[in-house]
Parts: sequence; C-alpha cells; structure tokens
Amino acid sequence: MIEKEKMMKTSTNRRNESAQKLLLRLELWFAPLLLVVPLIVSLVFLGDWYVKGFIGRSASYDGELFLGLLLLIGNLLFDIPFLRSLRMQKKKQ
Amino acid sequence: MFFSEMTARDTLKRTKQKMTEYQIGILEQLNAIEVDAHWFRRVFHTFAASFLFYYLLPDEKWINLGKIVLPIIIVACMAVVEYQRIRGGLDHHRFFGLRNYEKKRPASYLYFGIGVLVLFLLFPQQIAIPCILCASFTDPIIGESRYYLGKKRAYLIGFVVSLCFFLVSWYRADWWILLLVCLLGATGVLIGEAKKLRFVDDDLMIQMLPAILLLLLWQGCVALGVNILPPKMILPL
Repeated sequence: MIEKEKMMKTSTNRRNESAQKLLLRLELWFAPLLLVVPLIVSLVFLGDWYVKGFIGRSASYDGELFLGLLLLIGNLLFDIPFLRSLRMQKKKQ
Repeated sequence: MFFSEMTARDTLKRTKQKMTEYQIGILEQLNAIEVDAHWFRRVFHTFAASFLFYYLLPDEKWINLGKIVLPIIIVACMAVVEYQRIRGGLDHHRFFGLRNYEKKRPASYLYFGIGVLVLFLLFPQQIAIPCILCASFTDPIIGESRYYLGKKRAYLIGFVVSLCFFLVSWYRADWWILLLVCLLGATGVLIGEAKKLRFVDDDLMIQMLPAILLLLLWQGCVALGVNILPPKMILPL
C-alpha cells in the first residue's frame, strides 16, 4: 500500500517536473521574439523619423520619434528584469 | 463493530490528510509557476506596443485588405485555441503564464487581442494609439508599483502615466482639447483597470473604456461642428 503511494507520488512529481520543463522551454522560445520585435519596431519608428522628419525637415513625423523612444525605453525597462528572471529560472532548473 | 468504525474513521482521517497535502503541493506548484511567469506576463504586455507597426504599413489596396483580414484571422485563431483549452481539448498546463482564474474562462491575451482588433478596425489612430500604449505600459506599471507602493499610489502613478500617453498622442491638438482628452482618457484607463469584472478582463476594459469615452467626445464635438482630432501621429511608410 505504502509502496504504491510512493510510486504514485514519484510519478506525479515527474509529471510536474516535465510540465515545468516544458513551460520553461516555451518561455525560452518566446523570449527572443518578445525582446527583439519591440526593439526593431522602435528602431523603424526612429529611422522613419530620422529620414523623413529630421533630414526631410518635417514636423509631421515628430510623433514617430516620441513613439519610438517610448517603445524603446518602455520595453528595455521591463526586458532587464525579465532576462534576470530567466537566468534565475535556468539556474533553478 | 467498534473496530470497523475506528478503521473507517482512521481511513477517512488519513484520506483527508492526504488530500490536504496534495492540495498544498498543487498550490505550491501553481504558485511557483505564477512567480516564474510574473515577468513573462509583464514583457508580453510591453511587447504588444509593437503592434503599432500596423499604422506604418503602406496605404496600398492589397495591403489595406490585409490590414483588415489578417488581424481578424489572428484573433479568430486565438479564439479557437482558447475554446479548445476551456473545453479541455488542450492541456491547461501547456499555456505558460496563465493565472488560476483563467482556467475556466478565456485568457487575458484573447481579450487583449480583441481590444486591439476593435481599435484597429473601428477607431481612428489618434484614439487607438494612446489606448494601446496604456494597455501595454500602464497596466504592468500599475501592477508593479502595487507591490511596492500600495494600491492608491499605484493607481495615482497609473493615472499620471496614462495622462502622459494621451498628452504625447494629442500634442498637436488645442490646449483645451488636450486637457479634456488627457483627463477623460486617463480616467477611463484607471476605471478600466480598477473595476474587476468576472468575465471581462481588464486588458479589454483598459483599452475600450477610454476609447469609447474619446469616441463619444469626438462625435459630440463633430455634431457641434468642431473636429477635435489632431493630425495623424503615424504616417504610412
């Protein structure tokens, strides 16, 4: 009876562990996308402002400058703790 | 008789004890996942701000068609996945970062997607942009500051941050319009975030409430013969 319970416990633990590993893998798969895409988009906004707004001397593109900076700073602020948490989690695993 | 009663009682007690242990174990496991997923969820929010790339897409016939069809297809796929998950066709554990209360109702990413879709298709970009920015940044900022500063201060910070987003998006409008829009929009964001509804996630409310308020204001002013919308903030490539 006790052996059976022990076996059940170990199998449940194994299942939980594999679920955790699977989730971590998913998070790692998503990480580059979550980190890189906003940076690229913000650089596109800044580039468009630079070419058409700054060099082309048009104030109509100032909004893109603001948005580019907002995206860049906002994402960097949250990316750093996210990367830290990923490193911590990898260490735990 | 006495012995059999004792045994039954013992067994019941033992079973209860095991059930409690099992429940605690499961809760610990879930909490571990919740803690690990904390920053993942935050970054997912801020990532959503890059959807604003949508307004940079060139104004051509086939691209304009794609601008309507593609977001609808993406949100429809998300809805199918969520339907399957809630029905039990997909394992809940395969979805990273879901909260406990999202087990039996659509997850917040679907609400977020629906909100963005409605804003893209039905609202002018002058209204949609600050609302998407608020959902992307104000929500995680309030969430984070709530941990360290408490609820009231977190909402105050959220209000100021939202105010800044509306200010940046409407900076070309007249001062009285700017003031009105900033106050109305930021209040809508705050109510959308603070008011928790059972079946509607705050990720949808935080976008839709200020958007609807601003739409009403805009249409009201148009009815009075004044167009308050500033020039577009993002011009297509």
